[in-house]
Formats: sequence, structure tokens, C-alpha cells
Amino acid sequence: MTETGRHGGFERLAPRLAIGMAAVLLVAGFAIVLLGAKYYREREVADGEMQAQILASAVSAALAFDDRRGGQEYVNALEANRNVQVAAVYDANGDSFVVYTRSTDIASPGTAPTLRSEIVDNHLDIAMPVQQSGTRLGTVYLQVLIEPAGRRLIRYGLIALFLLLTALVVAVLGISQRELAKVNTELERRASELAQSNEKLQIQIEHREKAEAALRHSQKMEAIGQLIGGVAHDFNNLLQIILGSLQTLKRRGARWNLDLADSQEFHRFIDAGIGGGERAAALTHQLLAFSRRQPLAPKTVDLNKLVSGMSDLLRRTLGESIVIETVLSGGLWKAHIDPNQLENAVLNLAVNARDAMPNGGRLSIETANAYLDEVYVREHDDLSPGQYVVICVADNGVGMTQETLAKAFEPFFTTKDVGHGTGLGLSQVYGFVKQSGGHIRIESEPGIGTTVRFYLPRRFGADQQNEVGKPDRPPPAGSIDETILVVEDENSVRISSVGMLRELGYRVLDATDGHRALHFLEGEPGIRLLFTDVGLPGGLNGKQLADKARRLRPAIKVLFTTGYARDAIVHRGRLDPDVALIAKPFTYEALAEKVREILGEPGR
Amino acid sequence: MAAEISAHARKWGPAVIALALGVAALAAATLSQAFAGEGDTLALEVKATYLIKLPPFITWPGDAFPSSVSPFTLCVVGQDPFGDLLDKALAGKRLIDRPVAVLRIDTAAQDSPCQVMYVAAGPQPAVKSLQAVAGRPVLTVTDSAVDGAKGIVNFILRDNHVRLEIDQAGAIRNRLEISSKLLSVAASVTPK
Repeated sequence: MTETGRHGGFERLAPRLAIGMAAVLLVAGFAIVLLGAKYYREREVADGEMQAQILASAVSAALAFDDRRGGQEYVNALEANRNVQVAAVYDANGDSFVVYTRSTDIASPGTAPTLRSEIVDNHLDIAMPVQQSGTRLGTVYLQVLIEPAGRRLIRYGLIALFLLLTALVVAVLGISQRELAKVNTELERRASELAQSNEKLQIQIEHREKAEAALRHSQKMEAIGQLIGGVAHDFNNLLQIILGSLQTLKRRGARWNLDLADSQEFHRFIDAGIGGGERAAALTHQLLAFSRRQPLAPKTVDLNKLVSGMSDLLRRTLGESIVIETVLSGGLWKAHIDPNQLENAVLNLAVNARDAMPNGGRLSIETANAYLDEVYVREHDDLSPGQYVVICVADNGVGMTQETLAKAFEPFFTTKDVGHGTGLGLSQVYGFVKQSGGHIRIESEPGIGTTVRFYLPRRFGADQQNEVGKPDRPPPAGSIDETILVVEDENSVRISSVGMLRELGYRVLDATDGHRALHFLEGEPGIRLLFTDVGLPGGLNGKQLADKARRLRPAIKVLFTTGYARDAIVHRGRLDPDVALIAKPFTYEALAEKVREILGEPGR
Repeated sequence: MAAEISAHARKWGPAVIALALGVAALAAATLSQAFAGEGDTLALEVKATYLIKLPPFITWPGDAFPSSVSPFTLCVVGQDPFGDLLDKALAGKRLIDRPVAVLRIDTAAQDSPCQVMYVAAGPQPAVKSLQAVAGRPVLTVTDSAVDGAKGIVNFILRDNHVRLEIDQAGAIRNRLEISSKLLSVAASVTPK
């Protein structure tokens, strides 16, 4: 700023200085011209006299001793001075001794002129004595042209012109200096602007690079998710068949007249089969969670309450060598999430923490409110700014290297020994948080510990429903006057489902596609429940079939089932509030509960 | 005309021729005498003028004059050929800022009070006169037409003009400085 100010001052001064200097130069120039004019004649006279004196001195001996040739040489030598018109020497008697005239039409005085030194017309007349040691030997006469006044004026004019030009140059220099300073300032300003915008661009590029990295990562996760989701879906169908068949077999077996030993062995094998099937189902559930294809049943949840409720479970899971600290924020916002999945997520993190602290340590679980702003959101893929509820799970275990950290969320990636981990724990957490519209952040440093924060979007508005504890009771049965239409394209699944429902006491019809199902719906007015797979062949999917059924029979109830959530009934992984769904593979009890829940108490 | 003359010549014979020759010879002699006299006079005047003009081109040492007011003395040794020419030319004049005296002496001596000594024909041979003032601050002037001996300045006649011969060695012997301007107009200069 000071710099610019100084420039500005000089800018304003420069042209004035230049003009002032020009004026001074002009005045000085005219003064010099006037003085020059005054002294010019005096100088010319002095010059002429000096030449005459030199001639007089040089010619003295030649004059004294009558050496005309020598004398003539002396006067002729004056030819070198272009202005000398006449040079003549006279002896002591006044008679002409030697004469030089520049041209023949110029005459010299016949006898010695009287001594003088004066300007006549345009020439100077000088007559001086020739003396040697005080003895007068004769006279020299010089006639010298002096520059005519006109020509002198032209010369002075030229000088004035030169001065004027000099002044002009100085002025132009001054003005251009000022312009240059202006341009310089402008350039400096532009350069700084450029530097600023460059810096902005640099920052933008960095942001973009981060966002791209995040996008690449999420795309990779998405691809893996799709792959796994497809596999899990098929597995669920298979498990549904296995579990359904085993459970049906188990109930039928009770009616068979087996002796005690046979009966015990029969139940042991059946239970082992069901147990294995259920563990497999749990695994596929985690796979679906990661691929965000698990059907979520979100509720408005108080996370403080949820974390407090998990303390017993966590203590049992972590053992005595690990201290659990919970820091629960007051006035915590509510979140709209699937509480079971959140419990799973926290549990998964706790298990990871335990494995990271083989010699004991501290696990802390904190809750807090948080606001994610635009700047933060811009650097992370698929996230909106706003209010979030945060759960932070931190341990002081072995921590992870950057390489490990980069792969932590990938399914089947594990640092644990074979048989100790599925590599699906963090994947489930990741999938669940993402599917819930949240954000997850993991920080770790080897030797210091790991911190995982997940941000779940705040729920605005009133609580939708209260959590209801499940009463422990036998599966509710159905009655023969309650007709259920099962629509399922896979034979084994359909047979299994139909078997389960008949076991429960319901009257069951079954169809392999939507068109056959519609046919039943038109002919059988007693159908109270449509139990359909979401994905159906033949151009009519579960959702479309349900819509048509409701038009035919407005009172009809619908229960969907699926290996994984599809957009037809699930938006962004969340069920529409009026849609009932049971995820495959479902158990006998779960199906019984669900159907009874939908149809209401019998006889109503 | 030629035929007429030859006719007269044949008539008058050798006597007339002899007479005519005699008259012509007489006339020629008279004329040449007269011319020779006038030339001598002219040359004398020039020499007298030169004699007077020489001193301004010469520098004498400080002891050349007895005092600062002593006159500049021009001596003529022997018979003065100039008559009253010198007196007339020098009347009321000063040389090198001093009054001028003309001294005519018969013989030159070592203590002769002269600054310029013109050696003319006289009872003392010129060589003697010159030797008398050798080493003294005296400018000796001779005329080759008068005597064979040469002073520091010697007048000669060349192309009908009076010219100077200068003996620089002699000048140095007599402790005199000669202006280069004078040397430049000399007909010959004997080097140092």
C-alpha cells in the first residue's frame, strides 16, 4: 500500500517536474543566446586582434630585413582561416610590404592604415604595429569576416529548437514515466489477483482430488456390494428352503411314534441343521447389510437409551480386562434408524476393539450432536450438510496402518487369524450407516488406537411408534377359514412356505406367477392375505400384483418377502410405512408372528 | 638604311669608327660609374637601416651595460662608410628601450663600450678588431664587401639584395642570444 502511495506521489510530480525543468532550460537557453550575442563581437574582435598580433610578431624579422618571400608566406598562411579576407604588412614608412587577399576583387589599403580595431559592416578591420623589443618596424592589417547577424540568429534558433526538443523529450519522459507507473501498479494488482485465483484453483483441485478419491472408493464399495448382494440373495433363497424344510420336518417328527433314543437323535441332527442354517443366514444378513440391500425397519431411536441398554451385552462380550466408558450427551437428538442394525454395528465395533486390545484397555462410547457444514460435505461423497447424531467408539489398542485403514471397510478383509473373523464386521457398519443416510469416519494410528465415528441424520418430528418388547409365547396359529394365497416362482421356496402356513393351520392356495395369482383372486373371494415374493417372472412383479389385488379386493392384506430389498417396495433401503415385509430366510416363528400381526387376532 | 650607313662608313673610314667607339666607351664608363655609385649608396642605406634594426632581435647579457640608464652604444670602427645616415636614422630614437649613442673609433679595444660594433676598413685590420672584443657582449657586424673577416653578422649582397650571414658560434662566444626570427631570415647560419 505504501509502495502504491509513493508511486502515486511520484506519478503526480513527474510531469510538473518535467515542465519545470523544460521552462528552466528555455530561460537558461535564451539567457545564453543573449549573452552570446553580447560577447560574440567582443570575442570576434579579440580573436582577430590575436591573429594580427601573431602575424605581427612572426613577420617582424622578415619585415625588418626585407625578406618578402618569408613575409609572403606568413600572410598566405592566414588563408587557413576562412574568415580572413585581407592580410597585409606595411613597413615603417607605411609602404606595402606583403599582401594576401582571399579573392582578386577584394582590395587592400595602398598604404599603412591607422592603427585600429573596429567592426565595419560585416567585417572586422584590424591594424596593429609590428614591433620588436619596443622598436616599431611596421604595420599589419587584417580584414576578417564576421558571421552575419541573420546567420547567427539561425544558429541561435537552432539552439532554441534543440532546447525545445530537449524540454519536449523530458516532458514526454515524465509523462511516460507516470503512465508506466500506472501500468506497473495495474500489473501488480493483476498479478496478485492471478496468484489469488491460482491459490483458489489449487484448493479446488485438492478438494476435487479428495472428492474423486472418495467417489472411487464408494464406487468400489458399490461394485463389491452389488456382487455380494446378488450372491447373498441366492443364498437366502437356498437357506429358506433348507431352514423351512428342517423346521417342518422337526414339527412333523414330533407326531411320529419314534422311541426315545431315536427321537433324541432325530432332534439333535435336526437342531444342528437348523443351527447351521441360522448361522449361515446371519452371515448373509451381514453381507446384505454391507451391500445395503438388507431391508431396514427404521424407528425413531434415542441413541443414549440404546447405548445404555447395550451395556450388559458389551460387558459380556468384552470381558473383564477391558474398561468400558460411556459418555452420553445431554439433549441428544433422535435418529431415525433400524435399532437392531445399530446394535449390531456397535457390537461389531466393540468386538473389533476387543481384538485390538488383547492385554486389556479402554473402550469408550460417546454420543453427541454434530453439524456437518458445506465445506466438510463437499469433500465426502454422497452426503448432505445438516444436523447429525454422532456415536463415537474409541479404543486404545494396537491401531491400524494407513494401508490397513484404506481397506478396513472392504468385505472379507480381516487382520484376524483364520477362523477368528469373517471380515464383515466393519463392512456391516459401513453398509448400515450408508444405507441410513449417514456418514462414517475412521481414524487410527498404530500403537495409539482406533476411533470410529458414525454420523446418523437427525430425526425431526414426533416419534412414530414406541418400541414394543416381544412377549415370549408360542407361535400364533391360524384357522382353516383364513385363506392365504402364496405367490413364489421358486418351487422349493413355495413348497416350504406353503408347508409352513398349512402347519400353522391356514388354508393355503399357491401360484407360480402374477397372472395365475390374479386368476385365483378373481375366483376365490375368501382370500384374506396375499403373500408374494417381490421378484416374479411373467411381466408382473410383486408390487404390481399387490396393486391389482387391492383394486379387486380393497380389504385384502399383503405380505411381501424377498431375498433383498428392491426399489419396487423399498426406497433407499427403507420400507414404505404401510408395507409389510418378511425377509428371507424367515423362521417358522417369525412367519407365524408376521402373518398373525397382519391379519389381526383370529375371529376379528 | 643599312646600305646608307655602310656607304657613309666606307666614305669616312676607320677614323670615324675610332671616334665613335671612343665616345661610346667614355659614355659607358661614365654611366657605369654613375650607376655603380648610386647602387653603393642604396646598399649603404639598407645596411645602415639593417644595422639599426638588428638590436631588437638580439638579447644582451645583464653586464653588457654599465648601468640601467647607460645608453645603447653603436660603434663604427675605422672609416665610417655611412656618413650621416646613422645619425639621421637614429635621431630621437631608442633601441631596446635605451637612448642611442653612435661612437666612431679608430681601433677596437677590449674595453670599448660598444653593444654593436660595425667593423669598417681602417688602420686596424678587421680581424684584430674582432679579436679585441671576442668573449665580450658585443655584436660584431662586418661587410664582406669591405673586408674578408666576418663578424657575428656579416652583410652580403645576393640577387641584388643585402642579406645576412650569421655566426651562431660567435654569438655564443660573446654571450649573445639571437632571435630565431632573425635566424629565419638569414641567408646562412653557422651553427653552434
